[in-house]
Amino acid sequence: MRISKYFKLSAMLTLVALAGCTKLDESYTSTVSADQAASALGANGVGLLLGSAYADLITPFVSDQGAIFSLEENSTDESLVPTRGGDWDDNGVWRVVHNHTWNADHSQVLSVYNDLNKLNFDATNVLAFKPSKEQAAEARFLRAYALYYLLDLYNQFPFRNPGDNLLNAPKVYKGPEAIQFIIDELTAILPDLGAGNSNTQANPSSAKALLMNCYLNRGAFNNRQSPTFDDADMQQVITLGTSIISSGKYTFANKYFSNFNRTNGNSPELIWAFPSSSGLTVNNPSVNTRWMMGFHYNEWVGQAPNAGWNGFSTTGDFYKSFGASGQTIDYSLNDTLVDTRIGRRRLSDSLTTALSGIRPGFLVGQQYGPDGTPLKDRKGNPLSFDPTIAPTMIETGNNLEVTGIRVAKYVPDFSVENGDKYYSSNPGNWFVFYRYPEVLLMVAEAYLRQATPNPTAAMALVNTLRTARGAVPVTSLALVNPTNVDDPNTMLAERGRELYWESVRRTDLIRYGVFLTPWDYKTTDDPKYLVFPVPNQALAVNPNLTQNPGY
Amino acid sequence: MTMKRLLRRISFLFLCVSFTQLAFSQTKVVTGTISDDKGAPVQGASVAVKGAKGGTTTDATGAFTLTVSANARALVISSVGYNQQEIGIPVDNKVSVTLVSSSQGLNDVIVIGYGTTRRKDATGSLTLVTAKDFNQGVITSPDQLLQNKVAGLEIVNNSGQPGSATTIRIRGNSNIRGNGNPLYVVDGVILDGRDARPSLNLGIGGFGQKPEDNPLLFIDPYSIQDITILKDASSTAIYGSRGANGVIVITTKKGSSSAVKLEANASVGFNVGYMKRFDILPYGTFVSALSKYNADTTAAKLNLGSKVDPMHDITQSNPIQNYQVSMSGGNENGKFRASFLASSTPGFIQNNNLDKYIATFNGGYKFLDKRLSIDFGLIQGHVTNNDVLTSNTAGSAGNLISAALQWNPTASYYNPDGSFRNLGNGTPNPLMLLKAYNDVSNINTTLANISASFKILPSLEYKFLYSVNQSDGSRNASVDGFVRGLAPLDGNGFGSVQNASLTSQVIDHLLTFTTSFSPDFHFTALGGFEYWKSNYSNNQAVAQTFDFNQSELSLIKAKYTDIMFDGKTQSPFQSFTDITTEVQSYFARVDFNFKDKYYLTGTFRADGSSKFGANNKYGYFPSAGFKWNIANEDFLKDNTLFSGLSFRATWGITGSQDFPSGSAIDQYSFTSYQHAAQVNAGNPDLKWEQTMQYDFGIDFSILNNRIHATVDYYNKNKTDILFQSTAIQPGPAATTWINLPGHLLNSGIEATVDASVVKTQNFSWDLAVNYATNNNKITEFYAPGTKTPLAINTGQINGQGVSGTLGQIITNNQPVDEFYLKPFKGYDQKGNQIVGDPGSETFAGNPNPTSLFGIATTLRYKKLSLSLNGGGSAGFKIYNNTATSVTNIAGIANGRNIDENAYKSAEQPSSGVAASTRFLEDGTYFKLRNASLTYNIGNVGNYIKNLNVYVSGTNLFVLTGFSGFDPEVNIDKNNNGYPSTSIEYIPYPTPRSVQVGVNFAL
Repeated sequence: MRISKYFKLSAMLTLVALAGCTKLDESYTSTVSADQAASALGANGVGLLLGSAYADLITPFVSDQGAIFSLEENSTDESLVPTRGGDWDDNGVWRVVHNHTWNADHSQVLSVYNDLNKLNFDATNVLAFKPSKEQAAEARFLRAYALYYLLDLYNQFPFRNPGDNLLNAPKVYKGPEAIQFIIDELTAILPDLGAGNSNTQANPSSAKALLMNCYLNRGAFNNRQSPTFDDADMQQVITLGTSIISSGKYTFANKYFSNFNRTNGNSPELIWAFPSSSGLTVNNPSVNTRWMMGFHYNEWVGQAPNAGWNGFSTTGDFYKSFGASGQTIDYSLNDTLVDTRIGRRRLSDSLTTALSGIRPGFLVGQQYGPDGTPLKDRKGNPLSFDPTIAPTMIETGNNLEVTGIRVAKYVPDFSVENGDKYYSSNPGNWFVFYRYPEVLLMVAEAYLRQATPNPTAAMALVNTLRTARGAVPVTSLALVNPTNVDDPNTMLAERGRELYWESVRRTDLIRYGVFLTPWDYKTTDDPKYLVFPVPNQALAVNPNLTQNPGY
Repeated sequence: MTMKRLLRRISFLFLCVSFTQLAFSQTKVVTGTISDDKGAPVQGASVAVKGAKGGTTTDATGAFTLTVSANARALVISSVGYNQQEIGIPVDNKVSVTLVSSSQGLNDVIVIGYGTTRRKDATGSLTLVTAKDFNQGVITSPDQLLQNKVAGLEIVNNSGQPGSATTIRIRGNSNIRGNGNPLYVVDGVILDGRDARPSLNLGIGGFGQKPEDNPLLFIDPYSIQDITILKDASSTAIYGSRGANGVIVITTKKGSSSAVKLEANASVGFNVGYMKRFDILPYGTFVSALSKYNADTTAAKLNLGSKVDPMHDITQSNPIQNYQVSMSGGNENGKFRASFLASSTPGFIQNNNLDKYIATFNGGYKFLDKRLSIDFGLIQGHVTNNDVLTSNTAGSAGNLISAALQWNPTASYYNPDGSFRNLGNGTPNPLMLLKAYNDVSNINTTLANISASFKILPSLEYKFLYSVNQSDGSRNASVDGFVRGLAPLDGNGFGSVQNASLTSQVIDHLLTFTTSFSPDFHFTALGGFEYWKSNYSNNQAVAQTFDFNQSELSLIKAKYTDIMFDGKTQSPFQSFTDITTEVQSYFARVDFNFKDKYYLTGTFRADGSSKFGANNKYGYFPSAGFKWNIANEDFLKDNTLFSGLSFRATWGITGSQDFPSGSAIDQYSFTSYQHAAQVNAGNPDLKWEQTMQYDFGIDFSILNNRIHATVDYYNKNKTDILFQSTAIQPGPAATTWINLPGHLLNSGIEATVDASVVKTQNFSWDLAVNYATNNNKITEFYAPGTKTPLAINTGQINGQGVSGTLGQIITNNQPVDEFYLKPFKGYDQKGNQIVGDPGSETFAGNPNPTSLFGIATTLRYKKLSLSLNGGGSAGFKIYNNTATSVTNIAGIANGRNIDENAYKSAEQPSSGVAASTRFLEDGTYFKLRNASLTYNIGNVGNYIKNLNVYVSGTNLFVLTGFSGFDPEVNIDKNNNGYPSTSIEYIPYPTPRSVQVGVNFAL
């Protein structure tokens, strides 16, 4: 009797308990499964995924000055970040990039690796969602762009096919196989890219420009210590470049800095850029970091002492490379025309002057406010930038706020019609990936590097550009001066003058065989620094990666 | 049965009836008062006639009236927390009884997982803290009641702000990920542990992440009857996959079976100063410093001729007020209690205020001859938090405390036209920050539960419980456009409107079976099923660049968050709903008690969680405990030394599922406006983190229960550590959740002594001390599938010049969050500090206290009593990030105030900023948390009963060598979710407060 009562009771409770049973499956809310993404997002889904791949360009290439820009520019003579008393020590992270003493735990080496692979992943993922031929080509272009930078920086890249199990270690491409893979990808997609694509999308010219990068650098990627260049590759560069030049789509902008100001979206030089508009908060590439990172705290009276972060500078030697063809250049800024690309004191081809006194280009010597008042630093000393930086890159003197020449390549967005709102966030400047002059310079370089060099053809191209920039034409053109990387009379210097602070300098110096030569604040070097190490964290989880020699 | 016997029985029955009638006719009325050994009345004490049924309970004045039969000879008086006492009924029928508090309360009923037990029967290591032992003074959240009260329980107020979150660790730091907080159970309901106050990261203008607040603010601290802390696995394993960090069980006050009574208490207080100041230069020294460092030049005048004290000028002294009334009562078939608390706790910083309105209502009624009990509870809390600009991760400018520390003490705050002065030296005007920053959050929380218990048989009870915990929060934060020196907010302004909602629900089915196989052998078994689910969602709208309030001289009252549409730059509205977490569990417990000498407890829980991966849906958590009550052995029967002696040994496995829902599955989401991408790569093997713990304990009482002591040794081993491992690239994210087969070990000894040192009619002295050690270490911490030790850097060091610096490391053979810093090597001839090169970081110290101690004492002379509560931690380091980058010497060159230590050193203003061992300080401290002086006036007039008045001081002093505001500090400096420990960075300072109060009953 008692037992049956217990039995009934436990049966009842079991029923109650079972009724409460759930399968414990997680039900999606703000997120969805892959299957749901494929079905629920419908026809727009692929476009949304492709949008993410484009947005992945922002962090590594634009908004974070400690990403691609740092690895490709601070590691060269074009840029450095001196520690200024209480500022910019940041655990030495900037100095080790400039004096070539980084290691496999460097935070920027890791974050760039992860950021580029995020682009690699998101672009690959587009291919798993039945994209149109055109969308697939755009995604593969973006992936190739990420792979090109991974190869350039780390000499290898991991690769997954769409739908691969993400818990498994992927294949790794390295060496000649790697660059060939990127070339094959780009060659394959070129016919699928819409000729009518805008310059904010992957387009045939951007794919050709990237392909030219690949062919031009193949000899260096395969042997960074002593690059050799195959004639067939150089002919590819010339053919691809000529097809862009002869397309008639691109021409020189009237003013150099209109490629970088808040209306640079209209520039006829842009081949591929990341769009923006003043005040846009969504997916804004945040080009403002490019000026804030160097400007002094008091650079603009309207926002002093927060008008800049007082960090990035360039070296005096690089500045001197603007004195081409017998012209000498000093820091006195006599406003004699040397080359519009250097910028001129208080002369502006932008909207800047009226509001700020900041002129685009290289900022050296006394800085002025909008009404011509000389500016002061935070200690009350004249705000006058001094080209000399302490050899240790640790400034401790009374002038620690003003050492180093600053660079205003991207021109601050004051958006006159709206007041002064977009100086430090949400500016309208587009970010430039490829400009027409880079194509010209690559073709010219290929003429010099082909089996039978053709300096005449090279100089003709270079001089078109120089004329457009208000510089005198050159009459002779060497590739490089191996004992002085900043010799003004070289092809390398011409690239530096046109493309400074556009994240190509490290690749250039390696291709020209001078990356290991000493320059300011880097006295010795080791060939291992021709590539960055694979981050230790990445190495630990993917056994297919191999650490680069020496690390 | 023979007729004869039947007749005998009937006659006996008649005899009884007539005897009873006789008793009714011959009764007497006994009156009396019951007080405790401090002379205070004991309310709710049960008074019964010895050997008879029935009885009564005392009222708020400790008085009772009981009608007894004329031949009753003695009364038995008992009350929770006191030794039971017998007293003969004197001829005048008036008794006056003083109960002796049993500091060990062996008969106290302790709430354990899904049930209760008597303290003397408990096999596990658990500590009961009852209301009379709680901390006093300014209390904003329930966890503060327990600080330094329990051996091995570390409760750190993360900052001095009222309502700030606390870091709670039971038996050491055992979290490499997540917050590591214990599980909270309120009246049998498992809480989620989060709250619905939207978190805020301004992310612009140098502002960083706002500190979180305390998720328990909705609970009225004055309505808590007791709190049990479950420490060992035998006690916590019944909570399965959520028990690994210990369990804190809160029981609210209930009505008693007595006449309806009303109790009231009121207090008012003030913050009267900093408990400890941060040592920046006082005015005079600052002026000397300007000349010492040649900073005040003609080109840049830095001595600006005024004299101000910014750290004083940002403070306020608005009254702290608490008012609480409660009504309770009942009879043997039902009881209720209702209380209402209104409290206003202004912070020490202007504009900061924490207001709470909390209603607590509960009751229990019995039906069907008391076989059916229905109990219900309802807590409704409304919390308003007016916040100020503090931040965990501010850069160079975005923090009020850093502005006040750095502000030039010779600079007046206003321009001649009344506008805020902007010094242009990188330090914003602190009064401007106070005025420009608005941040108000409102949180409404309901915790409702109803349970029904039915006694199917006298030995078998079924209980059903349903509970819902709903919390809705809103937060409006804005920065007015008149703010200067905080690009890009200058001349623009910023507004953010956020809402969040948290709902969790519990359903329990419990079956309890109690029987005695023989008079000496007792058995209890519990079986249960539980279903728990929780869901969180939030949304946010942000706008910038407003037209109005661009000048402090012409302000309108509206906030930007009132008129968001005016913002020229509108960010897209964002909303997010967490994947619902569901936990479904089956559990059982058996208890054997043989002769009150040998106790055995076993528990088992099977937990299924929706968070776990498809391959590991269910986890299993067993435990066992044994207790030998040696004092009840015959060989100790006649000893005079020990009045109690027992030995405990327990073992068990508990879990933690402290990782985000959705981690085990692939997820696609909208990553930014009109962009979608995969955001998580699922790990179908993901499961709970497992902790195996054993514990040996001895409890003893000596000198006739005058001294009680408990000593425990514990050893915890956590493995299958929940860990965000580096994801294999290319992948959707940089990290992915895995279970790492390393070990995190915590072991130590805990000791508690309660002593009744002096006990006389007029004077008594009670003393309680506790002490605990902890040894914390990570072992076998290798990258997955390798023997390569992992090194996870965390502990963000923030501020100008130290961006990206991390000061702590989680790695093999070290304690969690070991400091990992470059060595400081003095100063060179130019006065620049010399710090080791990059890569020279070494293990520099343990941020986890290796010992904790607490002390509580009460001295009573007649009706006046003084109680003191204090404690501290020892054997650990604190990193002073404020001194590193906020008050460093470089500031003097720009007219910013600096650290006194830097001023006294050989350092010069050109010295660089760097994180190093220089700023690592010994954290050892002792803090007098509160001191209260109470005078028990007693009954006044006909109505007011048991009137007490008191004066109480909070945070009266701290003894420490630490140079920051408060060594009890834990600013959240996590890096990518890896938590940090013991880093100070411009925290909200801790004030010293004084309160006066009164309480009485009607």
